[in-house]
Amino acid sequence: MFTKFGNFIYGISVNGVSKLGVVLITSSFIIFLIAQLAMLTEVLTNAYIGLIVYLLFPSLFVIGLILTPIGWYKYKKNTGKTTIELLNERFEPVDTKAGVSGAKVFRTFIVLTIINILFLGCASIRMLHFMDEPYFCGTACHSVMDPEWTTYQVSPHAKVKCVECHVGEGVGALVDSKLNGAWQMISVTLNLYERPIPTPVHQLRPARETCEKCHWPDKFYGTRLITMVNYKRDSLSTPKYTSLGLKIDTGKSGQRSGIHWHIAQKNEIRYASVEDKREKMLWVEVHQLDGNFKRYTNKDYQQKPDEIEKIRVLDCVDCHNRATHIYEDPQRAINKRISEGLLDFSLPYLNREALHAIIKIYPDKNTAQNGIANHLRGYYKRNYPEVITQNIAVIDTCISVLGDIYNRNIHPQMNISWGSYPSLIGHKGENGCFRCHNSKLVDENNNSISYDCVLCHSISAYESSEPFMFLTPADSTDRDFNMHRYLQEEFLNCYPR
Amino acid sequence: MRIITIIFTFALIVAINIMANGGDSNPTVTGKCMTCHKEKSPGLYNQWYMSEHATHNVTCLNCHSADRKDKDAFEHEGALIATLVTPKDCGQCHDKQFSEVGNSYHATAGQILKSNDAYLAHVAGGEPVAITGCESCHGTKVVIDKNSPNKLSHKNWPNSGIGRINPDGSLGSCNACHTRHSFSKAQARKPEACSKCHLGPDHPQKEIYEESKHGNVYYTNLDEMNINSDRWVVGQDYFKAPTCATCHMSEAPTQKATHDVGQRISWTLRPVISKHKENWKKKRGNMKQVCTNCHGETFVNGHYYQYDALVHLYNEKFARPATDIMNIVKKNKLMENPAGFSNDIEWSFWELWHHEGRRARHGASMMGPDYTWWHGIYDVAYNFYFVFLPQARAYNDTEVNTYIDKMLTDDPMHTWLSQDAKTLKENIRSGKMQKIYKKLFGLN
Repeated sequence: MFTKFGNFIYGISVNGVSKLGVVLITSSFIIFLIAQLAMLTEVLTNAYIGLIVYLLFPSLFVIGLILTPIGWYKYKKNTGKTTIELLNERFEPVDTKAGVSGAKVFRTFIVLTIINILFLGCASIRMLHFMDEPYFCGTACHSVMDPEWTTYQVSPHAKVKCVECHVGEGVGALVDSKLNGAWQMISVTLNLYERPIPTPVHQLRPARETCEKCHWPDKFYGTRLITMVNYKRDSLSTPKYTSLGLKIDTGKSGQRSGIHWHIAQKNEIRYASVEDKREKMLWVEVHQLDGNFKRYTNKDYQQKPDEIEKIRVLDCVDCHNRATHIYEDPQRAINKRISEGLLDFSLPYLNREALHAIIKIYPDKNTAQNGIANHLRGYYKRNYPEVITQNIAVIDTCISVLGDIYNRNIHPQMNISWGSYPSLIGHKGENGCFRCHNSKLVDENNNSISYDCVLCHSISAYESSEPFMFLTPADSTDRDFNMHRYLQEEFLNCYPR
Repeated sequence: MRIITIIFTFALIVAINIMANGGDSNPTVTGKCMTCHKEKSPGLYNQWYMSEHATHNVTCLNCHSADRKDKDAFEHEGALIATLVTPKDCGQCHDKQFSEVGNSYHATAGQILKSNDAYLAHVAGGEPVAITGCESCHGTKVVIDKNSPNKLSHKNWPNSGIGRINPDGSLGSCNACHTRHSFSKAQARKPEACSKCHLGPDHPQKEIYEESKHGNVYYTNLDEMNINSDRWVVGQDYFKAPTCATCHMSEAPTQKATHDVGQRISWTLRPVISKHKENWKKKRGNMKQVCTNCHGETFVNGHYYQYDALVHLYNEKFARPATDIMNIVKKNKLMENPAGFSNDIEWSFWELWHHEGRRARHGASMMGPDYTWWHGIYDVAYNFYFVFLPQARAYNDTEVNTYIDKMLTDDPMHTWLSQDAKTLKENIRSGKMQKIYKKLFGLN
């Protein structure tokens, strides 16, 4: 058996080119099999090994397959011999003798070709499968993708593969993504990429194909009660609570309203934004199924005559732009860690000093870790020497937690600092909901889209000393009495009795 | 019939009461205002939240609600409101203060549009500086603009000038001193409230106060001024130092607090030549009653003796002759250009009285030595002798020259110019020089 293949390999290795081809074919084939075995047994796990195994070896194998016939053809041309003459020269007569099912050399060729096709097929499938793994996306281009990989792993979508949102289904999507990936490889190799990399919102698959596979529009979320805690920057880091009843889906399905009204089947929201950045709106339209629509135009923006409007139909990612790669706001990150018990706010001014420690600008992550430690230890050493002697372990834990917050959110190598990737869910400043719900976008009668505070959420506590404070009886001597009463009634009226 | 009359009368009373209360002040609507503004303008909300207004349940619509007939009323989130809160609005509760402010000199500050200062700002500067400069302190005439979101012209809003001419006919702006939305008494009691406007080359009251003993002890004892106290009677509730408000407005054991700032001022130091104000003796008496809480009567009388003499010195030695000369220049049509302030002598005359002349007088009134002399009379003298007189002489007009020559040879206050220094020094040492000015002391 091996002699037969040995003879065949010898027979086709007519010159340097075809010898090289044969060497590439056999060596890449054997190494691929060994590496694949090592990967299946998890001896090798590194993403770069996968890259070599699934990209390099199959490529070398194909190059070998191309070089071998080229060498044969060249040899034939140089010697001026016919194919029959060459076959007779390179193979034993017994191998070239025609049988019922062809010559032996032909049969060997056919068998090897089938093996090649099977090998390439399997390698391709394994390669595509490997490239579909988040591990590949997140670690193959380490420095570039590290921030996204870090945030992805702690996100609500950590169990959803990157490709399910970023590639989508179908051959077209696959080809697109591979072409895009090829360009990314070039830009990483030649250092052409932007830092920070722009959010690929424009290239994302339509939400109908991605988000809605799990979060289908008919799914009814109702009102969701949440409480956010914000710690004051005083010595006690006093907690203040804001409780909201998020009116995600209200009304009956036919008369659907609430926040998800925007993506209800009967509505279509279209908009055009300045430079298509989806931040400052030029206009917003609400289209109904019957063709009626209403436009709200930004009265404060003078459109340039040559400005091209790119019309966008609103979908999930216009608001949920950071559903997965969530970069935290520094204060909110600290609030979360305190409320989870990771940061001990019995330390005086813990909230304020923790914030100061992490928002300083550090050149790299190592310096940041030292800087955070120095800031916190230094502060307590200077101002509360007794605290530091009694709470060394507590302060060290805080330093470690703050270091983790920094590492999760700040990536100096990619120029990612606080606020580089703002979230558009909710509202902060003029962002999020207030892009459309503001006084500047008006219809022909100068009416704006409502930006009433209780349009999208009831407010049951607002920087209050307790969660759901406004659901308790109002005290007429309280300065917030009127607001308390108003918000209590509003909340209760959302649930008609 | 009788029942109908009773019902009708009752309905009328209710209607009048609602109108008097400025319309809708529904607590639910107020709650809505608070909800949004706590998010959108947390500074504003927190200023109010910590204020006395919040303590007494004075909320948004108590001040901002409007009637349909108000020219600046507009619909906002289901409420009919006005941005502008005028002294008349504040007067719904603070009626005494409203009436005092209305009668005060402060309330007339908006008449600036007719004054020389405004003319100068408009011609030498231009409208933007008249708005952002003059009218910011003096107040603007608020014009209604139907296209503006709050119905107020952008040229007139924002404006917190003390003599603002409001669409409801009232004059002034309470938040000139009691800044929104804290409307703090304490703020208005501090000199910083006044020094938004009372400073600079033409009326440096802030700088003079800082230089004076009064300012000195105030800044040394900031924490001991009991400034937040409801009752704030000098000598009783605090005693370390007086602020602007102490002397001009606040309560003393024998003086009621007043928002009519002129009630304790005896001289007007504003015009070219100072003169006593109407009822000046009573007004001086008012001020003296404040002074005597910390000073003996002789001390107080001594101050006025010195201060009056300085005002007379300025009036007689510089202001009158300069005015006479300017009158001759104008009468004889000597100035080359027709427009006011288009000739250099007009600028030097202006600065003589409007800038350094006032500095000297204000300096003396508030015990600021440097402002009385180096920033005051010293500058007046330099301007008078070496800028103004040479400019006047440059016209080569016989009447002007005769006046100046006569003044320099006959008026003993000016004859020093032609004497030698040795004689003058001897005269100072011997007291002969001082005798020239004897007539200025003890004058009324």
